[in-house]
Amino acid sequence: MTKIITCVDGSAITSAVTEAAVWASKKLNKPLLFLHTLEKEQQHGADDYTGAIGLGARTVLLDEMTKLDEQRSKVALQLGKELLGYVSRQASTAGVGEVESLQRHGDLVDSINDIEGLTRLIVIGRSGKGHDGNFNALGSHIETLLRKASHPVMVIPDTFKTPVSFMIAYDGRETAEIALQRVIDGGLLHGLHCHLVSVKNNESNQNDKFVLAQQKLEGKGFNVTASFIEGNIHESLMEYKEAHDIGLIVMGAFGHSKLRQFFLGSNTLKMLERCKVPMVVLR
Amino acid sequence: MLEHMKRDWLSNIRGDVLAGIVVALALIPEAIAFSIIAGVDPKVGLYSSFCIAVIIAFVGGRPGMISAATGAMALLMVTLVKDHGLEYLLAATLLTGVLQICAGYLKLGGLMRFVSRSVVTGFVNALAILIFMAQLPELTDVTWHVYVMTAAGLGIIYLFPYIPAIGKMIPSPLLCIVALTIVAISLDLNIRTVGDMGELPDTLPIFLWPDVPLNMETLLIILPYSAGLAVVGLLESMMTATIVDELTDTTSDGNKECKGQGIANIGAGLFGGMAGCAMIGQSIINVKSGGRGRLSTFIAGLVLIIMVVFLDDWVRQIPMAALVAVMIMVSIGTFSWSSLTDLRTHPLSSSIVMVSTVAVVVATHNLAFGVLIGVLLATLFFSNKIGRLMMVKSDFNELENKRTYEVIGQVFFASAEQFTNAFDFKEAVEIVVIDLTHAHFWDITAVSSLDKVVIKFRREGATVTIVGMNEATETVVDKFGAHNDPKEVEKLFDGH
Repeated sequence: MTKIITCVDGSAITSAVTEAAVWASKKLNKPLLFLHTLEKEQQHGADDYTGAIGLGARTVLLDEMTKLDEQRSKVALQLGKELLGYVSRQASTAGVGEVESLQRHGDLVDSINDIEGLTRLIVIGRSGKGHDGNFNALGSHIETLLRKASHPVMVIPDTFKTPVSFMIAYDGRETAEIALQRVIDGGLLHGLHCHLVSVKNNESNQNDKFVLAQQKLEGKGFNVTASFIEGNIHESLMEYKEAHDIGLIVMGAFGHSKLRQFFLGSNTLKMLERCKVPMVVLR
Repeated sequence: MLEHMKRDWLSNIRGDVLAGIVVALALIPEAIAFSIIAGVDPKVGLYSSFCIAVIIAFVGGRPGMISAATGAMALLMVTLVKDHGLEYLLAATLLTGVLQICAGYLKLGGLMRFVSRSVVTGFVNALAILIFMAQLPELTDVTWHVYVMTAAGLGIIYLFPYIPAIGKMIPSPLLCIVALTIVAISLDLNIRTVGDMGELPDTLPIFLWPDVPLNMETLLIILPYSAGLAVVGLLESMMTATIVDELTDTTSDGNKECKGQGIANIGAGLFGGMAGCAMIGQSIINVKSGGRGRLSTFIAGLVLIIMVVFLDDWVRQIPMAALVAVMIMVSIGTFSWSSLTDLRTHPLSSSIVMVSTVAVVVATHNLAFGVLIGVLLATLFFSNKIGRLMMVKSDFNELENKRTYEVIGQVFFASAEQFTNAFDFKEAVEIVVIDLTHAHFWDITAVSSLDKVVIKFRREGATVTIVGMNEATETVVDKFGAHNDPKEVEKLFDGH
């Protein structure tokens, strides 16, 4: 059975991530899997600028570095274990039936990729350790994760409030169509009030598609408020969000080519950076 | 892709920049000293170190490894420079680069697995000995000043790091060079300096095509040198990459490193530099100083050229004694001292491989020959060991006057004779059965010695039956690809 993969690292955001995961797990009726990865910090041995190499320089250095790594890893391993135990207990208390935890060495995104077959939804905080207090900075893994993950990713801000309504940004492009379809097929957002929002762009017959999308959602039993607005894409979306007290945003990831993003940036990332509500990014 | 680049270049900026500077300072004396070993102007080695370090920072396969002009390569080009001059060295450097790129595309990086640990140790030790020996001309027929200066230099290098607080902030080899230069200038000593060794760079390197005739004759002159340079360069780089992998607990891309080094050498050749490769000592210094990413290699090259171009008047006055002290440190740091104590505990065969590698290199001054002999010896010892994994059991049935031989184990060229000798042809029997179900015939030698055995028995008048021939000869077929599949391997060794 596929699971809700929840990434925890022990930073301030962890409790919000746990709450969101519990909500998603109950909503989708899927087990929870807490994932903690031990990433290697590469900087050490940097206090020796002598440039001198003596007898057995290599073995001495190897011993020294192995010892440092060993100490650090042991502590990190223990801390991670305790963290996983803590969040698992929290989830069980909150009423989730099946809770598992997994600890892996190596890069977070690689670890998520390795358990791709088990994945239903990935829940992750918008930024982890090293970003505490600095709101606008996105975590270093988010972009890579969004590019590589083949499953929906829910990005959680500092605090989590159970959402009662969600907004889906619809631009008529293929990625938006896919996102729409996945909202309908999935179960996470059923029962929430849906705001279907489109910002005018140069996509041909955007209007017709928009109406079609609304009908599609309504046909599946969603309670839809549809709005067609004009202006700068994220400015207007943010304004709409504020005005209607939206609790969650759904977006299709990366509609543009990589080259274009390199020069102009990506709407998905801009929204992620500025948004203070959970976002579900669909591929 | 972009993420990769970011991680390789920018994940460790502070550590990489500081380590890069330390490495650059240590590279300057080495590049000069290696140019002198090769018999060219110091500027050739310095340009080469700059080009190789900067280019390989972008195209290499092992972030955090330092490549530049090296002693191993310099030693190979001595006769080429002596007999044909600098232009041919530049041409040979270009060809070396081309050969290394080919090696990268042919994925020869993987061939490193045939080079055993003992050969690697022998290579490293031989390199250290050669670097040390190359310093001896500077220490013979000189005044007592030079000995005092060298000893003082070594003292500074090894003792300065023990001074608390500042000891680990300033590279001690640099301090040794600065201190000895000041002493030499202020006392107005009449000893040899870097300026006496040849031209130093006063501009950035400029693009130039080697001035050699493009014909077969040139190719035949440079090809043997280029082949040796390519092999030794790749060997040392692959070895250094394993060392850096081990130290930093990360992985590298061997074939990318082969191609990268080829490109770097072509770059060096076009800008008036000599061929180079990865440096064991410098890479250790880099890791020790906190360098992990590509940025450290790049900074090392950049700082080196800036220092040399702007400080050439000072570099000129560095006494050779200071460089000798630095090079002695490099050779001591490179030598694998634990290999001496290991001689007693390691098996005799691996010690012989190690010592022969060293002996051949010291005798021929060519690391490639040493490695070749080492690999050959290691292979011979290995086949001898595997060859002993063969046994022939026999069983006599008096009633039928029948003898059954059961062959167990590995039959190939090294054990074929032992196989033949295991049969008793003098015995008068009527029926001979040779059971090969539990034997492996690895090559044609094994098959033909079986033929010989059968013919001999038939000549003595015995009827020979062979059992399990198909199973035994399955291994003769060259099925290298299949050996990665656990099922195939199981099939091959079924019944053992």
